Amino acid sequence: MSGSTYDQLRTLYRTLLVYATVGVLILSIGIVQFAYFERPGQASGVTARIVGVYEYDPTSHKTVGPDRSEFPRSEEFAAVVDWSSLPSNLIVDARWYDTFGSMRGAVGPAHPSALTDHGVVPVEAPEGFHLVLPGRYTFVVERLQDGVPVEVLGRRFVVVDRS
Amino acid sequence: MITSTTPPAADPESRLRPPRYRIAVAVAALVVLALIASSILNYVFLDTIPGRASLYGLLAVALITLGTYILVRAFNRDRATRRNQLIRAGVLIGLGVLLWLLVIDVFLYTQSAGPGVAAVCALACLPTTAFGLLVVRRMDRNHKEPWRLVLVAAAWGAIVATSLVVWGETIWESSAQHALVPGPGLDTSLAFMAGILEELAKGLAVLLLFLVMRNDFDDVVDGIVYGAAVGLGFNFMESVSYMTNLYSIFSPEGQGGIAAGIQWYGRQVLGLFFGHATYTAYIGAGIGIARQLPAMRQKVFAIVAGFIVAIAGHFSWDAWVNLFPIQNTIFGLVEIHLRTLIMTGPFTAGVIALLLFGIRYEGQNLVDQLRKEAATGQGAILADEVPVLASPWRRLRQRLQAFNRAGLPGYFRVSRLQTAQLDLAMERWHRERQEIDTPLEAEQQLRERVIQLRHWIAA
Repeated sequence: MSGSTYDQLRTLYRTLLVYATVGVLILSIGIVQFAYFERPGQASGVTARIVGVYEYDPTSHKTVGPDRSEFPRSEEFAAVVDWSSLPSNLIVDARWYDTFGSMRGAVGPAHPSALTDHGVVPVEAPEGFHLVLPGRYTFVVERLQDGVPVEVLGRRFVVVDRS
Repeated sequence: MITSTTPPAADPESRLRPPRYRIAVAVAALVVLALIASSILNYVFLDTIPGRASLYGLLAVALITLGTYILVRAFNRDRATRRNQLIRAGVLIGLGVLLWLLVIDVFLYTQSAGPGVAAVCALACLPTTAFGLLVVRRMDRNHKEPWRLVLVAAAWGAIVATSLVVWGETIWESSAQHALVPGPGLDTSLAFMAGILEELAKGLAVLLLFLVMRNDFDDVVDGIVYGAAVGLGFNFMESVSYMTNLYSIFSPEGQGGIAAGIQWYGRQVLGLFFGHATYTAYIGAGIGIARQLPAMRQKVFAIVAGFIVAIAGHFSWDAWVNLFPIQNTIFGLVEIHLRTLIMTGPFTAGVIALLLFGIRYEGQNLVDQLRKEAATGQGAILADEVPVLASPWRRLRQRLQAFNRAGLPGYFRVSRLQTAQLDLAMERWHRERQEIDTPLEAEQQLRERVIQLRHWIAA
């Protein structure tokens, strides 16, 4: 093998190693980012009681019917949270996320005692849409620290059918 | 009439071949096991339409895998055996594709958007993907890869790699959604999922090509071409999947066509070369560089480095794409393009730099070998042919001159001669670097083939 040939191959090899170093740096930033939002040692042992997910009447702002996990697009629905199940010193909120991970309705953040009048948390259609989009929806009750959600105290999944 | 047969591809007694093939068999066995496990897991635990599609699609994936294997091996056999092998491969691949389309239509797309929409989406993605493959193959200016292998790479990316990631992504996503706080933490986890699992699945296809078809996997340039082809195949299937899914979600609001169209533009125009093609090209580059490195430790480092860059590039897009502000105005259209350019552009520029350097490196060595072959005086390459063979433009001009003289047959005859001469130079280069396991008689057969082709053209 001639010297120049090996040098050129070595240049390619070293260039790739430099790229890989940048890659490691990017992945490390990702791990730090993950650790910041998923802080270790945050498990408080507290559990929020989600009473259920029900069909929602937007005119009376009340839920109707039985607890369900599947809804057609034509129906509005809401989760009901028993805020009294949580210690009053926590800062909490409740949120709906749609199938794309976008927030579709929330209450809080506040102390649980301040949310007792907001036990019903309805899901909202995206701006400009008549109905909610189909797919899997996630409802969570979260504990916040320094304005950042650090723990999920309760969680429910709901499927919205395409029909 | 010339009966052009490929020279024996490998020495059966070579001590290089058995370990390489054993690794290939082990990787293939892992792929098969992963596919079977994924299908069963999906079916048992998900009990959804995609789960059923995955299970019933297993046979289609197996047929296509076996068919492509027979296809690529067929070209290393003599003419009589090759025909039978090609027919077998064609039948298997045809059956596999039909079965796959049936499964996809019936269980997946029909359920969400209907077979008509699925067909339209697939048809819309075909020309752009074909254009991408054409460009990627033409990037190898000195020594183009055979179409059959480029298409096999794309098919693996589209069918095998996408099938491989189904179970892993489903389990990861489901676990993360049950355990993590929704928001940036969950998004970061899912970005790691896509980067790691999808690049591993696509990279396996490039690795298998390298292990099984090393005679057509020469260096970093070939690696980039095969890697990008796998990425384009994967991008094709992912585009069809996203387009049909979004169509079905937004069609009740009368915006199904717009949603699918935006996906098509984002993935098949804007992201055609900037997304999966770029990421997997890095894996190919790593394997291509490893192919020529002398020490095992360096080979391993190069392959791992390629995977790391691919995973990092993919991760950075998925994790941070939402950080780039897109206004809800007409300027938002400009911002969408800027976002792709700024976030994926540096990765694409990096792989283009490797490609250009690789082409230069390959070109210099081919010219060196062409000169050495001309100096032997055996007649396969003449001294005055060296400058022509060294320049893609002059080669094209020579083919066009043949076209003017003798039409298309003349063009293709000269093309075949040029390819055979470059094959000989490439063979000589690998032999000089002691990185080839074909016997010396293969080189002599290549030489004789060139001389036969030359006589044929003269006649």
